[in-house]
Amino acid sequence: MIEILSELTQGQTGKIIALNGEGGLKKHLMEMGFVKGAEVKMGRVAPLGDPVEIKIKGYSISLRKEEAQNIEIEIL
Amino acid sequence: MDTTIVDARYGFIAGIIQESVKKPKIDKITRSDIIDRIVTHKYLGIPIFLFIMWLTFQITFTLGAPLKDGIDSGFSFLASAVSTYLGDGILSSLIVDGIIGGVGSIATFIPTIFLLFLILSILEDSGYLARAAFVMDKFMHKLVGLHGKSFIPMILGFGCCVPGIMATRTLENEKDRILTMLIVPFMSCSARLPIYVLFVGAFFSAFQGWIIFSLYLLGIVVAILVAFILKNTLFKGMSAPFVMELPPYRLPTVKGALIHMWERGYIFLKKMGTVILVFSILIWILSSLPMGVEYASQESITGQMGTVISPVFEPLGFGNWQSSVALIFGFFAKEVVVSTFGTLYGVGDGDALVTALHTTFTPLSGYAFMVFALLYIPCVATFIAIRRETNSWRWPLFSAVGSLIIAWVAAFLVFQGGTLLGFA
Repeated sequence: MIEILSELTQGQTGKIIALNGEGGLKKHLMEMGFVKGAEVKMGRVAPLGDPVEIKIKGYSISLRKEEAQNIEIEIL
Repeated sequence: MDTTIVDARYGFIAGIIQESVKKPKIDKITRSDIIDRIVTHKYLGIPIFLFIMWLTFQITFTLGAPLKDGIDSGFSFLASAVSTYLGDGILSSLIVDGIIGGVGSIATFIPTIFLLFLILSILEDSGYLARAAFVMDKFMHKLVGLHGKSFIPMILGFGCCVPGIMATRTLENEKDRILTMLIVPFMSCSARLPIYVLFVGAFFSAFQGWIIFSLYLLGIVVAILVAFILKNTLFKGMSAPFVMELPPYRLPTVKGALIHMWERGYIFLKKMGTVILVFSILIWILSSLPMGVEYASQESITGQMGTVISPVFEPLGFGNWQSSVALIFGFFAKEVVVSTFGTLYGVGDGDALVTALHTTFTPLSGYAFMVFALLYIPCVATFIAIRRETNSWRWPLFSAVGSLIIAWVAAFLVFQGGTLLGFA
């Protein structure tokens, strides 16, 4: 099933199948490890509902939902 | 092209990892997860953040106060020793009134500022400041249009705006960064505290805490309003994405925290030491000329400058020349406002100064004066920091002129509004 990363609920994991979005953000995300095939896990949500914590490649990163929308994943 | 390289790199890394690393299949709950469960909790997250900030200032000021008094009496002792040794004369006046008075008033803030930096270094090294940005990002982003990372320079601004300005380096987007620099000076830095302490002691002894708190709050509200306005006019456009690592919590090492504290504090010591020394001497010269006038009297150059400017402050309730002179000197460092009053009324600090203030201020005009002093201009050191960080004169000048206008309007509203409501 194909989903976008921002739709995951806490604790769900997925595998990245595509990255969209404009060049700068896409490059930044890729450099941080968001590449095709990488496994991601949805972590905690900030108290005000945004941003969210994403676990990837063994570390945690914080993304706003609008940024996480650019990441298409396959739910595992 | 770039993305191909990134893809290839991670592909290569994945290959090596597959060949060489065995990973346990189950995720175990780490200590960081447990701490995060509390500090980024849906309901507790923000109260915990506010509590930690409150605790930081509480510790800083409680522990800093006795150290501050110690340095203060040290400088007083030095001043009296020098004046006994040199007697009355120009050299003695230069050293005692100019250098010791000017530099000494700044030196008393060293313990407070170093303590604040120490605590902030500990918070930063532990990994909590990244969580603070995580917790506060939506508020900053949606409401004000700032980046979550702007919060850290603003918090540092409570200690001293100079390291606050330096801390904007962590913001990747140029617009976010300049905008943050422009609002940091509205945060009530520790140098403004002596002004509040003096006036609150003189006019509001019953509600001390609340009056001071109201000024801190006013600074934050003005900063947010200015950010909001600038974000929708001059700095229109997307802010940087919030891609920020949330590092695992670590126990900060003593050495690491001390190094961080020293790096920030040293900037304060060095820049402030040089700038303030030069300006202390300059102020002294202007207050001693033309030849033969009494030091810092209305006939001296500074006194004349104050007299010329003072009508501007008439609608704000403090059109006396002493206030104008104090505010001119306050540009060099805000706490100098207090020592200038001391010199101008010829009474030194303490009770005599309070009595003198009662002759020129009412509680309402005193409050208007505090509002003006809070907002009116970034001090020289901050001004120079903005100049250095933006590498142009445009932004520091913009900041100075803008805040002068904002301060005048705010103090005008306080004084005239208060008068209409029947306060005096």
